[in-house]
Amino acid sequence: MDNPNVHIQLHEPTPEDILLDAASRFASDKIAISFSGAEDVVLLDMAHRLGIEVGVFSLDTGRLHAETYRFIEDVRSRYNLKIEMLMPEASAVEQLVREKGLFSFYKDGHNECCGVRKIMPLRRKLSSLDAWITGQRRDQSVTRMDVPLEQVDKAFSTVDHTVTKFNPLAGWSSADVWSYIRTNEVPYNPLHDRGFVSIGCEPCTRAIGPHEHERAGRWWWEEATQKECGLHAQNIIKIVNR
Amino acid sequence: MHITFVKKILANGEPCGKCADVSMRLQRDGYMDRIDRTVVADERDPYSEGMRIATEHGVDRAPFFVVEDVTGRRVFDVYFKFVNEVMKARTSDVEAARDLLNQNPDLDFV
Repeated sequence: MDNPNVHIQLHEPTPEDILLDAASRFASDKIAISFSGAEDVVLLDMAHRLGIEVGVFSLDTGRLHAETYRFIEDVRSRYNLKIEMLMPEASAVEQLVREKGLFSFYKDGHNECCGVRKIMPLRRKLSSLDAWITGQRRDQSVTRMDVPLEQVDKAFSTVDHTVTKFNPLAGWSSADVWSYIRTNEVPYNPLHDRGFVSIGCEPCTRAIGPHEHERAGRWWWEEATQKECGLHAQNIIKIVNR
Repeated sequence: MHITFVKKILANGEPCGKCADVSMRLQRDGYMDRIDRTVVADERDPYSEGMRIATEHGVDRAPFFVVEDVTGRRVFDVYFKFVNEVMKARTSDVEAARDLLNQNPDLDFV
């Protein structure tokens, strides 16, 4: 066995198991795959091979690379999918741009722009779903090291509406994803061949070097402020152990 | 109902920016007088009251609110959810989205 992650796979259901389980538990109009136009195309390929009926949506921020838009279109025709493109609320974008310009994220941080262009449409969409499926993996960033295969999505659940999030690829490494893509001849975003690992909006995404972490390709100018709201875990551990 | 607001002092002694933002919004929205106690989680002092409360409730972010009433104890680490569920009011969608991102930094990675 030459797969270094085989120990994980032995103890966890496969991504296909998770997809089948998810599709069996939720009505097809109440569950959807979130497709970013990057490596998560693997989920669409798996769902297609398994014959699973689930929705597919993409967050069209209006700032994606031209390559990503073309790739999404390629995927749409290859798998004969109806991909729902979620657009930001026009008035919110207009207000942001009017007040702060088109590149405010370089100065003020990306949260406000991402909030308007991604989170608002995502929240709107998830209010109509009971479950969604993401391509999140534990190896993508330190903040994803504990991503479970399935979780109650506390961010988007409300008192009256529980949203379940499935992360079928949680236990996979980037190498596993690319092995699947190569083996199954899955189409992929051409930006990957130009050094882009994580692909988001054009102004906020860059190619990275071979030893840089995936997250280094996104919002690289504000790395120092990423964890300002966290409470230092070391301090809390000290209290517990006291 | 008893509401505790926990805000953070950074390891360098500076007040936490997001805590200041939530404090400002509490004032702006007229809810400050509904807060019964304001407690500091001081990163320089792991035994500060706010750090103890965070440990007790398994909270790893600040600011947050602890709400106690006849139904029990609830913790909110997202301002708009606190406003929705405790104050029974709505924040703007833009502010709600920003709150969600602040408390769930991975969401920008979708």
